[in-house]
Amino acid sequence: MTRLPLDDAHGGDRFPGFDVLAQSRRWDAATRAVVEARLAPDTRLRFFSALEAATAGALFDQLLDQHDGVKVPVLELVDDRLARDETDGWRYSTMPKDPDAWRRTLAALDADSIARGGDSFGATGRDAQAAIIQSVQDLGDADWHAMKASQVWSLWTRYACTAFYSHPLAWQEMGFAGPAYPRGYKNLGLDRREAFEVRDHRPTLDPQRDQP
Amino acid sequence: MGASAIGDLIDPGMAEVRERNESAWLLTPRGEVDRSLQERMRRYGDKDEVDVVVVGCGAGGATMLQRLARGGWSTVGFDAGPFWDPELDWVSDEAGSHKLYWTEPRVLGGSDPVPLGSNNSGRGVGGSMVHYAGFVPRLHPSDFATLTNDGVGEDWPIDYDDLKQYYEAIEGELPVAGDDWPWGDPHRYRYRPQPVSGNGEVFLRGALAAGIEARVGPVAIANGRFGHRPHCIYRGFCLQGCKVNAKASPLITHVPDALAHGAEIRADTMVTAVELDERTGRAIGVRYLRDGVEHLQRARVVVVAGYSIETPRLLLNSVSRRFPAGLCNDYDLVGRYLMVQGAPQTAGRFDSEVRMFKAPPPEVSSEEFYETDATKPYKRGFSIQTVSPLPITWAEHVAAQGHWGASLRARMSDYVHWSCLGALCEFLPQPENRVTLADETDSHGLRVARFDYSQCDNDRMLVKAAQEVMERILKAAGADDVMTIQRYAHLVGGARMGADETSGVVDGHCRTFAVPNLYIADGSVLPTQGSANPALTIMSIAARAADRMLATDPTGKRK
Ligand SMILES: Cc1cc2nc3c(=O)[nH]c(=O)nc-3n(C[C@H](O)[C@H](O)[C@H](O)COP(=O)(O)OP(=O)(O)OC[C@H]3O[C@@H](n4cnc5c(N)ncnc54)[C@H](O)[C@@H]3O)c2cc1C
Ligand code: SF4
Repeated sequence: MTRLPLDDAHGGDRFPGFDVLAQSRRWDAATRAVVEARLAPDTRLRFFSALEAATAGALFDQLLDQHDGVKVPVLELVDDRLARDETDGWRYSTMPKDPDAWRRTLAALDADSIARGGDSFGATGRDAQAAIIQSVQDLGDADWHAMKASQVWSLWTRYACTAFYSHPLAWQEMGFAGPAYPRGYKNLGLDRREAFEVRDHRPTLDPQRDQP
Repeated sequence: MGASAIGDLIDPGMAEVRERNESAWLLTPRGEVDRSLQERMRRYGDKDEVDVVVVGCGAGGATMLQRLARGGWSTVGFDAGPFWDPELDWVSDEAGSHKLYWTEPRVLGGSDPVPLGSNNSGRGVGGSMVHYAGFVPRLHPSDFATLTNDGVGEDWPIDYDDLKQYYEAIEGELPVAGDDWPWGDPHRYRYRPQPVSGNGEVFLRGALAAGIEARVGPVAIANGRFGHRPHCIYRGFCLQGCKVNAKASPLITHVPDALAHGAEIRADTMVTAVELDERTGRAIGVRYLRDGVEHLQRARVVVVAGYSIETPRLLLNSVSRRFPAGLCNDYDLVGRYLMVQGAPQTAGRFDSEVRMFKAPPPEVSSEEFYETDATKPYKRGFSIQTVSPLPITWAEHVAAQGHWGASLRARMSDYVHWSCLGALCEFLPQPENRVTLADETDSHGLRVARFDYSQCDNDRMLVKAAQEVMERILKAAGADDVMTIQRYAHLVGGARMGADETSGVVDGHCRTFAVPNLYIADGSVLPTQGSANPALTIMSIAARAADRMLATDPTGKRK
C-alpha cells in the first residue's frame, strides 16, 4: 500500500491500513478513468519552461510540504491544466490572465531569490525558499512585483491545493474514501463508519489546538 | 401493473404531478436520462418561425420550455453547454467536475470582487442547478417590500401571494423534502425530512443548546423514489452533479417533459445576440454559433434565461441603431443591481468523527435571523445552513486561515473531525454592483463580462452577525475550536423587474419594457434576494410568466 510520507506530529498515520486506491474497483467507470489519469500524468511538460518548472516545482513542494519520497505529481497536474487553459473562469481585473500570471509570479520568485543573494528560486536552499514564500504571504493586500500579493497567494494556493487534494493519496491521509458512486454511504451520524472506512487512531491530535 | 403505477396509487400527490409534468416518468425505468428522447426530438429549421426561442436551459429557461411546450407553443431552447448524460459525463469527484462550470473568461473588479466559476455559474442543459446544493426555501412575504418596510433594497412589482401557487407547483415537481416550515409563510412539504448525517446532527444539537430554531430541509431530493428517479444514496457529491438522479435539476425535472411535448433543445450552441427588427422594434429571433458558424433562428417571441452574468452580457452585446448602448438599456439599468449573498462559512472541531462528506451537503437550516430585528443596527438578515465541503474546497477553507506547508497538511489530516455551517446574508442591491463589457474578447470574439462588486456597511454587519451565530451554534454543540472563511454564494439581479421602465428592465411578468416580444426569465430579474437560495424562486417566477404568456398570447397554440 502506497502512502505519502507525513510526519506523525503533522498528522501522519492517523488512519492505519486505510487504502483508498484498493477500493477503486467499487467506483463507476467514468470516475475511475478521471481519477486514475491523475496518478501518473505525462512527465513531459507542455506549459512551463525548464526554469519555470524548477521554480514552480519548488513552490509546490513548499506549499504542500512534499520534499522526499512518494509525491503527488502537482507540477505535472498544474502544467497540464495550464497547457489546456483550464482556468477557474475568472480573474481579478488587477491580475494578468492565469497563464501569464503564472509566468510572471515564477519570474518574480526567481528575482527575489537572486536579490537576496541566492540562486534562482528552485536552486536555492529550502529555508531560503520558505522565507521568500512567507514574505509574500506577509504582504497581504500590499503590492508584490506590481501585483496584489494576496491575489498572487490566491492563485498559487488555488492551483496547488486543487491538484494535491484531487489525489487519492492525499484523501487517504485525511480519512476520505473518495468517489462514492454507486456504493454510497449507509452509516450516517457522529462516530459512525462504513466497513471500508477506518477510524482516526489519534482523534485528540487536533493540530489546530496543538499547534496554534 | 408497473412499479411506478403502483407508486401513483399509493401517493396521489405523485399522480397529480405526473399529469402536469411527466419528466420523472420519462427517465428510463432505472432512472437514467433517456437518450432516445433526444434522438426522437423534434427539429426545426432556422427559417421556421417558431413560437419561442429560449436562451439558456437552466432553472428559469427549462421551466419556460416545459410550460410553453406543454401549452402548445413550438419551442427551441439553446444552451452553450452540453446535453448531459449523468452516467457518462459526470463523476463522483471534485476536480473532475470542472466542465460543469461556466469557465469562459470573466473579469472581476470592485472593492470586494466575487469569484465566479464553480461557485455560482453552470453551463449545459440543466444550468447551474446541475451542481447546486439543492436547498430550495421560499422567499418570505417581507422580501417583496423591503423598501417600504425597512427603507432598504427595493419593492417588487409583485408580491408573495402572486408567487405562492407557483411555489407549491414547483415544490411538487422537484419534489421537496423537509420538516414543516415555521418561517415566512408557514407551509409543509410533501416528503418527510431526510435522515441527517454527522454535520446535520451537530447543527441540530448546537441549535437546541443555543436556543435557536433549526429544521431539516428543505431539499430538492425526494425521501423515497419519485417516478423513475431512485432514492438518494447519501454519497455527498451533490455539488458535482447527482449521478443517481435523486437530486432535482431541470435536466430531469423539466427537460424530459418539454422534449415529449415537441420542444427542441440545441446544446453546445452559444447565442451571440438577440436580433431586432429596427422598423418594428420587435425581436425577430436570435443569432447563434454552432461549430463556429453563425445562424439566425427566427421566432415570434424570445426568452433570455442565461443567468445574472450572461443575460446582461448578451443584452449589452446586442447593439442596434435603436439600442446603441445595448438591448433594453435605455435607462442604463442592464447589468445593474446584481447581488450575491454574503456566505461566510464557519467550521467547528469535535473529538468525535463528523465525516461531513457523508450525505448531501444540504441537510439542516435555520431562518430565525431572516427578518429585520429592530434591536440590531442592520436591516434584513441571514439564514444558516449546513454546507459540507469536500477536500479541495475544505483545503481552501483551511488555507484561508493562512496555513501552508506542514501546517496545512497537519490540519487537513483532521478533516473527519470538522463540521461546517454556512450563512446566506441578504446583501442589498446597489447600482454600481454590475456587469459591463470588458475590452477583452472570448474565443468567439464576443466581449467578455466584467463584474464589479463592493459591499455596503449593512452587508458587512450581516456577515459579522452571521459568523457570530454560527460560532455560537458550533460551540454550543461542543466544538473546541472554530474557523471561518469569507465566501459568497448565488447570483441574482442584473436585469431586474420593476414597476416601470425607469426602475426595471422587465415588468412583473418578465416582459421587457423596451421590446414587447422579449422576455427575461432567470435569476437576473430578482430585485432583492432575501436570505433564501434562489433556484425555487427563479423557477416559480418563470412558471408564472409562462402561464401569463399562454393566457394572453392569442397567436400561440398553432403548432
Ligand atoms: C455551487 C452552487 C450551489 C448552489 N446551491 C444552491 C442551492 O442550494 N439552492 C438554490 O436554490 N440555488 C443554488 N445555487 C444557485 C442556482 O443554481 C442558480 O441560482 C440557478 O440555477 C440560476 O438559474 P438561472 O435560470 O438564472 O440560470 P442557470 O441555471 O445558470 O442557467 C443558465 C443557462 O444558460 C446558459 N447560457 C448562458 N448564456 C448563454 C448563451 N449566450 N447562449 C446559450 N446558452 C447560454 C448556460 O449554459 C446555463 O446552462 C447554487 C449554485 C451553485 C453553482
Ligand atoms: S447525496 Fe444524494 S442527492 Fe446528493 S449527489 Fe448523492 S445521491 Fe445525489
